[in-house]
Amino acid sequence: MRALQTLVRKEFRQIFRDPGMLRIIFAVPLVQLLVFSYAANTDLHNVPVSALDQDQTVASRRLVEAFFHCDVFVPGPIAHDPRELKELLANESARVALWIPKGFTKDLAEGRTPQVGITVDGQNSSVAGRASGYAQVIVARETQRMLRERGFEPETASGGVARVTGITRFFYNPQLESRFFMVPGILVLLITVISSLLTGMAVVREKEIGTLEQLLVSPLRPFELVVGKTIPFVVVSFFEFCFAGVVAVLWFHLPLEGSIPLLALSGMAYLLVTLGVGLLASTLSQTQQQAMLTVWFFLVFGILMSGFFYPVENMPRWAQWISAADPVRYIMDIVRGIFLKGSGFLDLWRDLAILTGMGLFVFGSAAQRFQKRLS
Amino acid sequence: MKRVFAMARKEVYHILRDRRSLGVAILMPLAMVLVFGFAIDMELKHLPVAFLDQDHSPASRALIRNMTSSGFIVDAARLRTREEIGAGFRSSRFRAAVIIPRHFARRLDEDETSPVQILIDGADGTTAATVDNYLNTVLLQFNRELVNSGAAATLAASAIPVDPRLRIDFNPELKSAYFVVPGLVAVVLMMICALLTSIALAREKETGTLEQVLTTPVTPLQVIVGKLLPYVGLGAIDASLVLAVGRLVFGVPMHGSWWVLAAYSLVYIMIALSLGLLISALAGSQRNAMMFALVATYLPSLILSGFIFELRGMPLPLRMIGEIIPATHYIRIVHGILLKGEFWFGRDLAIMLVLLLAFTGAATRRFRATLE
Repeated sequence: MRALQTLVRKEFRQIFRDPGMLRIIFAVPLVQLLVFSYAANTDLHNVPVSALDQDQTVASRRLVEAFFHCDVFVPGPIAHDPRELKELLANESARVALWIPKGFTKDLAEGRTPQVGITVDGQNSSVAGRASGYAQVIVARETQRMLRERGFEPETASGGVARVTGITRFFYNPQLESRFFMVPGILVLLITVISSLLTGMAVVREKEIGTLEQLLVSPLRPFELVVGKTIPFVVVSFFEFCFAGVVAVLWFHLPLEGSIPLLALSGMAYLLVTLGVGLLASTLSQTQQQAMLTVWFFLVFGILMSGFFYPVENMPRWAQWISAADPVRYIMDIVRGIFLKGSGFLDLWRDLAILTGMGLFVFGSAAQRFQKRLS
Repeated sequence: MKRVFAMARKEVYHILRDRRSLGVAILMPLAMVLVFGFAIDMELKHLPVAFLDQDHSPASRALIRNMTSSGFIVDAARLRTREEIGAGFRSSRFRAAVIIPRHFARRLDEDETSPVQILIDGADGTTAATVDNYLNTVLLQFNRELVNSGAAATLAASAIPVDPRLRIDFNPELKSAYFVVPGLVAVVLMMICALLTSIALAREKETGTLEQVLTTPVTPLQVIVGKLLPYVGLGAIDASLVLAVGRLVFGVPMHGSWWVLAAYSLVYIMIALSLGLLISALAGSQRNAMMFALVATYLPSLILSGFIFELRGMPLPLRMIGEIIPATHYIRIVHGILLKGEFWFGRDLAIMLVLLLAFTGAATRRFRATLE
């Protein structure tokens, strides 16, 4: 036990002696949290719209104006002929092009459906999909309103006809701010990256520069060596998790609805997984570069399949199966649930149990492999 | 020149000997394209929704059938009480709940408006808004069917709501692969050329072999060029693989010229290499080099370049940072060449050249300082 204490103390001293390391532990996550939380915004904002208004009437101008009543669209350069409209789209001055041909008002006056052209830049498919949805709704709503003003009944407001109305209520995040959803995810990413990469490289480093053999001739038992090498990273990563969490709550006003002990418990269970992955990679690797790439492989797919960017339900069946084996997915659900929805143990016990099971398995097998390599 | 090639050959042996790293470096970009292309469909579907049918009438069942028929939402659970809704949201069992109240059908028969409650888990705001949109569209259609089947159907025959003619340019089917492939090329090149080289150089420093090499008649410049060359090759192989898979598997078009693409890519690769060089000069150990490279090159290329998140949606300071990230301009160029067939990108090229000069200048200064 004494030897273990000494090893842990040595590891801590080694971490805090290196100013580069201090920067990695404190400055880097803070910068990442701030930058990514502002950047990872999937709300549509400032999408430039260019209009080609060949009708040039009050009604057509009103339709163009209707686009700028919400904060999704902003006015882009105005086009004077179809060719110019196409160019504006091609050089990305506009993302959405609206073409109101001549006869728009005349159609309205005669109660006919006016033809309006909407062209969307489809390069970013997710933005394009949503922007086209918004644009269609705006055009439909505004033209319906204008038809009604002219005494025609568009069908949705069909007077005495029975109709079903939807009354929507949004739980937890009534403003539907994407940031509240992204920030807990970013917290998870931060501790995932830091804990697994640092552990992976730290052990191999001793191998690479030859100090591991020195440790082996010390009175440390292999088990103590594993624990001693990982404890500092548990502490550092856990501290990081709390630190980033506090910043998220204070700076981004992320609501913390659920229980803090549960959050801490889940964080610990998850660290078992990431440290285990790091340790496992280090037993498989000869150089730090190799260890890093091995961990990286886990990181890239763990994060891609976790539902951080795109909902898991959205993936094809086979991908959902892969995702079921992805520890990042469970912690992502847990952390988001605790922060945003106030999910409790009863809501999350299954995720938590799977995560703990994975942690024990990964860490256990990594520790065992590590011991075997040593003896 | 011979010495440069000797250095390069040594580095190639290094790379080839480490099979697993090589495997990861080549397979990962490939796997990423496949995952992005097959698994990550940006169009939402299969979202689980729960139903609480308090009416149990043919009309309420018809409404539920209408809502679930398109596959956009899945009938995830039939609830008995309202209490189950909160629990379901908290454990993420479903994302929305539709409550059809008692007397739903009777109210319809009596020509009243008949409200339906839609409760949505708003935690994921983007998805929530889409679900709301979809459910309301279904209600609209449901109403239309009611109108058409009822006696009053002829009422509004002349005034069908506008059906705007929608066209999507450059990516008509909104395939995510069109969008992802150029971004991945940029990220992969950055990863191989900046991240791996910075670690490779830092390793020589850390293990002390850099000094050994420098005592030989090879000049520092030759050492560096020699060490970097193989990574240019590796990066080029990776980028070509990503492009090939994008084209052959996902049908990403190539409207421009491969030569133009190669020329711009060369500039980008040189920027990535100079960044890798700069980082290895700044960092004392492989670990620090990796962390710096991660934060300074990989993550910005992924997040601030407009690859995953739109630059336009970001606050001004971040947009400005985004503008000085090489990947932002490179992604624009690749998009332009592949999807639009353009070939001249004066502004993006100018910014990339300025960045190249700045990074190489800083890197050589730092490197000379550390070597002497």
